[in-house]
Amino acid sequence: MLSETTRLLFAVLLLVSAVAVAGDELPIPADEYVYCTVCHGVQLMGNPITKSPRLSGMESWYVENQLRAFKKGWRGEHENDVIGVDMRQTVANLTEEQIKDVAAFVAATRSAPPAETIDGDAENGKRLYSSCAACHGVRAEGNIALASPALTGLDDWYLVQQLRNFENGARGSQPGDTYGMQMRAAVVTLADDRAIHDVVKYISTLEE
Amino acid sequence: MKQKSLSRRNFLELVGVAGGSTAVYRTAMAMGLMQETGPVATLDLRHVGPAGKKIAVLGAGISGLTVAYELERAGYDVTIIEASHRIGGRNLTVRHGDRIDEMGQEQICHFDDDPELYFNAGPARIPGHHRRVLYYCKILEVPLVIKANVNRLAYTHDEEHFGGKPVRIGHYITDTRGFIAELLYKAVDKNSFEEPLSAADRERLLLFTQSYGDLDKNGRYQGSMRAGYKSGGFVTAQEYYENLGFKAILNSRFWEESNADLENPDWAEPLLEAAGGMDNIAKGFVRNIKSPILLNAQVQSIQLRQDAVDVEYNHNGERKKISADYCFNSIPAYLMPGIPNNLPEDYRKALFSLLQGWGVKIGLQMKERFWEREGIYGGITQTNQRIRQIWYPSNNIHGKKGVVLGAYDFFDPSGFFDRMAPQERIDYAARCGDKIHEGYSDYVEAGVSVVWRRMNHMMGCGAMWWSLDVRDQYYDLLQQPAGGRHYMIGDQISYHSSWMEGALARAEYALLDLDKRVRAESGESRKG
Repeated sequence: MLSETTRLLFAVLLLVSAVAVAGDELPIPADEYVYCTVCHGVQLMGNPITKSPRLSGMESWYVENQLRAFKKGWRGEHENDVIGVDMRQTVANLTEEQIKDVAAFVAATRSAPPAETIDGDAENGKRLYSSCAACHGVRAEGNIALASPALTGLDDWYLVQQLRNFENGARGSQPGDTYGMQMRAAVVTLADDRAIHDVVKYISTLEE
Repeated sequence: MKQKSLSRRNFLELVGVAGGSTAVYRTAMAMGLMQETGPVATLDLRHVGPAGKKIAVLGAGISGLTVAYELERAGYDVTIIEASHRIGGRNLTVRHGDRIDEMGQEQICHFDDDPELYFNAGPARIPGHHRRVLYYCKILEVPLVIKANVNRLAYTHDEEHFGGKPVRIGHYITDTRGFIAELLYKAVDKNSFEEPLSAADRERLLLFTQSYGDLDKNGRYQGSMRAGYKSGGFVTAQEYYENLGFKAILNSRFWEESNADLENPDWAEPLLEAAGGMDNIAKGFVRNIKSPILLNAQVQSIQLRQDAVDVEYNHNGERKKISADYCFNSIPAYLMPGIPNNLPEDYRKALFSLLQGWGVKIGLQMKERFWEREGIYGGITQTNQRIRQIWYPSNNIHGKKGVVLGAYDFFDPSGFFDRMAPQERIDYAARCGDKIHEGYSDYVEAGVSVVWRRMNHMMGCGAMWWSLDVRDQYYDLLQQPAGGRHYMIGDQISYHSSWMEGALARAEYALLDLDKRVRAESGESRKG
């Protein structure tokens, strides 16, 4: 029989092994999660060549939600979501406990802000963003109560891709994916690809 | 006019001699038109003395191991930093109990615990002109054996042609040649060339076509013993195969891909393999390397400084740093955008123009060597199914069991196998085999799949340029060291991506470049 203290210690050790963070130092992933950084880069800084977005510092609750969404096939199942398919395959076997471990690691990572890679009219984007702000916050800081993630610190090319995914149904069209469906309904405010680029351009001017 | 008749004369002379292509090859060599691959001699690197120079090698694949092997002999202080749990990179042989480190879906190999039951998931063939690979195998004392690649008794299979039944490759090739020869015979007969042939030329060309295609005395192709015996031929009279029919061959697809494959110099018979598995080459290096090889050490940052290259990496739960004089980096170029670095902007741009290559191999342990009962010993069957190829093992002939390569997909932009779970891949490959060998899937005892795009620390098999234009634009730049200190290495920086010879050729080039710099440096200091 393990004493309560031993069990607690055990739990703490498990946590430590999942993410080793000491003071200001950058977190080091446990061996079993190193593969996250192979695609998404060191400190999950993102890699546009392998089409893996920056995830540094993403809210753990949102990471958990999305990992579950991939597992359930809400993401990464649609034929238009070629990259999501890869991601789904990669996380398909994660247990609920592992999902929490991974999310804690993701939230602890830090990297330089993403580079700007797209063209767009930030002024027009600002106007368009007003309808996004209700859920995602005026400064795109996110709102956990509405399950709306922060949009700052994400790669602009990735935001464009995801908005397109919501638009074409690759995301937010699976039964059960309530929040995804809300978002899919919301993207109709963006009339076309130009509008998508403009709004993303504006979001990328906001500070993380 | 003179030019034209000369080339015709050449042609006639060529076909008039046995082994014509060899003659052409020799002539071309003699004229200096072709570059000899190799020759490999010792690199004669300048020994840098006991103080040494510090080298960081990133990646313990074939190129990194070669660099370490050569530089430690020249007195350099080498550290190899390897991100994965094993040495060898894509030089991977899978045996009983091995872990396949696929991202998010690890597999354990359940082949029997028997050294003959192995599967080369990476390089699997060495042609005679890959002189560097052969050189290192020799000096590292890695035993090599002949590996059958083309086997005329193996099959070509197309679900939509020849009734979906497999056809022996020898049969197919013989008939193809027969029909081509017959067409040529008719053309000669009608003298329908641009320029009339002399009577003697004509005579020789007719004889050639008859011999080339095994035509009858009237220049008609009626089938040939070269296609193989259908039955008999020993105590009873032989029966040959009926020919497949000109139209059927024309409509079939085997020749689209495979004609070139069969004669590509990299697959030209005879080929070799390392006895007992290709990873014996990596092991040969390891036996002869004293430099530390850190496993599970993932690079976190590469910073070029005036007088050094700083490489940070995680190891045993700690972030560490090595300050090296030179860095040899074999990390797949397409992963470099995810690693903080301060490499020059044009160099980064060049690196980021390399994309992930494809490569899927599936190994199946068969409980019996049923293919040997069909007269197949080694070699490859080609099919239009997604598995593309079935390789029969050249090792352990007449043994009890064998490992067949049940799929080799080298170009699959759709990620067909990527998105399957490991067991689904095995089942799929087994079902494809059923269309070629009766009861194939019943023989499958265990299987492993290596989908290189999904392998940890790899995410691809070989690097591909966006386009040939991009390659031409950046290739020279990537051959040079960034800041005079950072060498990108591996088969990715060669014209032979996905071949060990490409990795070795690149390593050799980089080492000679380093040597030149080190010699120049010491020359200057001597003057001073």
